[in-house]
Amino acid sequence: MIELAHLQVLAAALFSIGLYGVLARRSAVLILMSIELMLNAVNINLIGYATFVDFGEAQRALGQVLIIFVITIAAAELALAIAIILRLYRNRSSVNVDQIDALRW
Amino acid sequence: MLSQSLVFFYIAAALVIIGGLGVVLTRNIVYAAFALLAAMLGVAGVFLLMFAEFLALVQVLIYGGAVVIVVLFSLMLTRIQDFENLTDHRQWPLAALLAIGVFALLVAATLTTSVRVVERQSLGFLELGESLFTDWAVPFEVASLVLLVALIGSIVLVRTSGGRD
Amino acid sequence: MTEIIGTNWAWVIPALSAGAFFIVLPFRRYLPVQGAPLSIAAILLGFVLFWFVLADLLASGTADLSIRWLSVGDTTLTWGTTVDQISVTMLGLVTFVALLVQVYSLGYMKHDGKYDPGLGRYYAVHSLFVAAMLALVLADNLVFLYITWELVGLGSYLLIGFWYERRSAAEAAKKAFITTRIGDVGLLIGIVLLFRATGTFDISTLIHIAQNGGIEQGTLNVSMFLIFLGAMGKSAQVPFHVWLPDAMEGPTPVSALIHAATMVAAGVYLVARLMPLFELTPTVLVVVASVGVVTFVFAGTIALVVTDIKRVLAYSTVSHLGLMMLSLGAGGVGVALFHLVAHGVAKAMLFLGAGSVMHAMHEETDIRKMGGLRRRMPVTGWTFAIGAASLAGVIPLAGFFTKDEVLLRVLEYRHPVFIVLALFGVVLSALYMARLTFATFFGEPKSDHSEVHESPTVMTLPLLLLAIPAIGVGFFAFGLGDTYKGFAGFIDGHSKFHLNIWLSIASLVLAGIGIWIGWAAYIRGSLSTERIIDRFQSVHRVLAAKYYVDEIYQWVIDRIVLVLGRFIAAFDRVVVNDTAVDGTGDSVKISGFRMKFVQTGRIYNYGMAMAAGVVILSLIWWIVQT
Repeated sequence: MIELAHLQVLAAALFSIGLYGVLARRSAVLILMSIELMLNAVNINLIGYATFVDFGEAQRALGQVLIIFVITIAAAELALAIAIILRLYRNRSSVNVDQIDALRW
Repeated sequence: MLSQSLVFFYIAAALVIIGGLGVVLTRNIVYAAFALLAAMLGVAGVFLLMFAEFLALVQVLIYGGAVVIVVLFSLMLTRIQDFENLTDHRQWPLAALLAIGVFALLVAATLTTSVRVVERQSLGFLELGESLFTDWAVPFEVASLVLLVALIGSIVLVRTSGGRD
Repeated sequence: MTEIIGTNWAWVIPALSAGAFFIVLPFRRYLPVQGAPLSIAAILLGFVLFWFVLADLLASGTADLSIRWLSVGDTTLTWGTTVDQISVTMLGLVTFVALLVQVYSLGYMKHDGKYDPGLGRYYAVHSLFVAAMLALVLADNLVFLYITWELVGLGSYLLIGFWYERRSAAEAAKKAFITTRIGDVGLLIGIVLLFRATGTFDISTLIHIAQNGGIEQGTLNVSMFLIFLGAMGKSAQVPFHVWLPDAMEGPTPVSALIHAATMVAAGVYLVARLMPLFELTPTVLVVVASVGVVTFVFAGTIALVVTDIKRVLAYSTVSHLGLMMLSLGAGGVGVALFHLVAHGVAKAMLFLGAGSVMHAMHEETDIRKMGGLRRRMPVTGWTFAIGAASLAGVIPLAGFFTKDEVLLRVLEYRHPVFIVLALFGVVLSALYMARLTFATFFGEPKSDHSEVHESPTVMTLPLLLLAIPAIGVGFFAFGLGDTYKGFAGFIDGHSKFHLNIWLSIASLVLAGIGIWIGWAAYIRGSLSTERIIDRFQSVHRVLAAKYYVDEIYQWVIDRIVLVLGRFIAAFDRVVVNDTAVDGTGDSVKISGFRMKFVQTGRIYNYGMAMAAGVVILSLIWWIVQT
């Protein structure tokens, strides 16, 4: 039978993969995609708990509603991030994060 | 003996993991975008296994449709040749180490924490919709406001004509 | 018995003048006559209130009033007033003299029908000074007293330097401020020492503790001596007297206020107020008496040769303050205050008279160019003569009685040396007063005085009003049956004035000798001053140079203070500034410059550090949890 632990391990794996992508990739677009992976890992975790844990009759829909909100925020964040990347590209002719070093001394 | 649901789960999980790894490991950004699509579809499968049909639908529509398309559009609007040969930072081994560390930590935490588990329980379309528009009506409206703001913000950010460059 | 207006209202008196200060100073340009009437009204109201306070005091005895100000640890500071015989005496004197001086100033600060443009500032600072002095008199604890003490110093600085565009006035103001400050350091240390020994600033509590032996004798000796240093500075005792003659640079009414009845009296008042403590330290009392008698004679001799009308009065003030200190040194609080009052009104009148003369003679101050002025300025001349005679000790004016009481006290409580010196000082005091009066108002004019005329009524009226107590205050020495036991009895409740007929005769004869010499030298001319100066040339030179005290100070400042100062400045520059202050800054700058290379400015490095931090923190948390 499928169990909660399966989903949790899968979520952990996906989250770690996303983290690696954020830290290791050079392209801003790819970093963005990795962030989406991490958000999906969270969603997997949420659906696992929503299905396998009893929150009582009043909060039955809580888990799925939360996932809907996460997806909404992710979409909003993605739209803004893509806009920022396009802007960046226009100003710097590059979307590589190691060339964006205005913070450097 | 593997049960049917477990078989489907492994298929979906494999899709998710392979897609995820594809996103972070491939050298071609278009491949990465398609790998992301695969991972999203895998997650949609997981949703289905959890009897969350609506969420699976939303996942496919928003991620599989909108998100991946937006990413591909962004690639189109920038110079695609920049992305043909993607390289990683020099710190990638460290990042890998850290990612493995996080994975180990999360798995360890999962295995050592006991949660009172019940049987898989489903939630129908109707119930979800009713809850969303009664108990969660206000957050729902706020979320729509967030989307609107993000929309306007994106337009303002990428607009060229008449803007102050 | 509580009245509606009584001793509990005493605090209103300084508050009124303080209020006048806070209104007049910012709004003086918009007020009629630059706010002077407001200031005068405040002090007039204060003077009226004084009578209510006095009446209540006589009816229901001394009263304390205090409100909590702040608490630090176990110590509570209070704002409070003490209304007793000593403070009410000072209250009356200060309000009376200040009122008349402020009225007089209206005339004095008017030149050719126009008011001085700084009149508003003058009255504002005047009110501040009076408020501070009144609060000082009423203060019931040493911190409050010290604050007002410094405010008095500030007021005097501002008033002496009123004509700050004149270099000499600005210098004199600084000199007065700094010289008194030297003594004030002693006062502050003394107060802190007393606080350390007892844990309280409240004067009556302090006295109570000390009288029960709660303070070690050595500590008490040191702290009382230090407090006396503060009194020496304010009351211009040798060797801190140098500021007072120079302070004559201020407007003359200011001198009448500050150098007759108020600021210089603060030192005497302080010693009188703390007399129960001083009585426990006989050694310090001997010091007080010695300083007093030395000042009395010392300043008297200088007053003989000074030719500036105001400076003669200034040295006379120093001299009489010495007499008060001598009296305090003999333990006579009542007699000292009695002389303080008599001297205060007489000297205020003399200063105002001198101001009247200067006003008429276009700021001329050299008495060698005056003479015969009484015919031109009768009111000024006769009131001046009354004041001078009072201070010279002519019977039956106030000065005779008060001086006599002081001498009697000294005779009874101190070594014979003191009385001999004091009697010598009496001759001097009579002589210089006679000289000043005769040279200015009698004899023949020594320059053209045809344009000189009497001052306006606004100036002569205060003179006449001051003449009344200058003549009559001496009679308060006598008791009136059982209800009033004489001034000393009023102050401490038991002692009585009495007359030693031989001493009175001696002092009268000595005063007469002084006046006779003055008469002979300056009116009849039978005694040539030139011949005397020729005969005692070296003595005259020393006296004219004021015993070279200023020169000694200058030498000390040049050779010791400035050298030390340069050394400290160099230390400050090299060690404190270059090493400590700049060194700290430089080390931060250099280390920052070196450390900035740690910052790559690349987001993914920061992200890595952040993620690693999260992992490490989670691990730590997990380990701690299990």
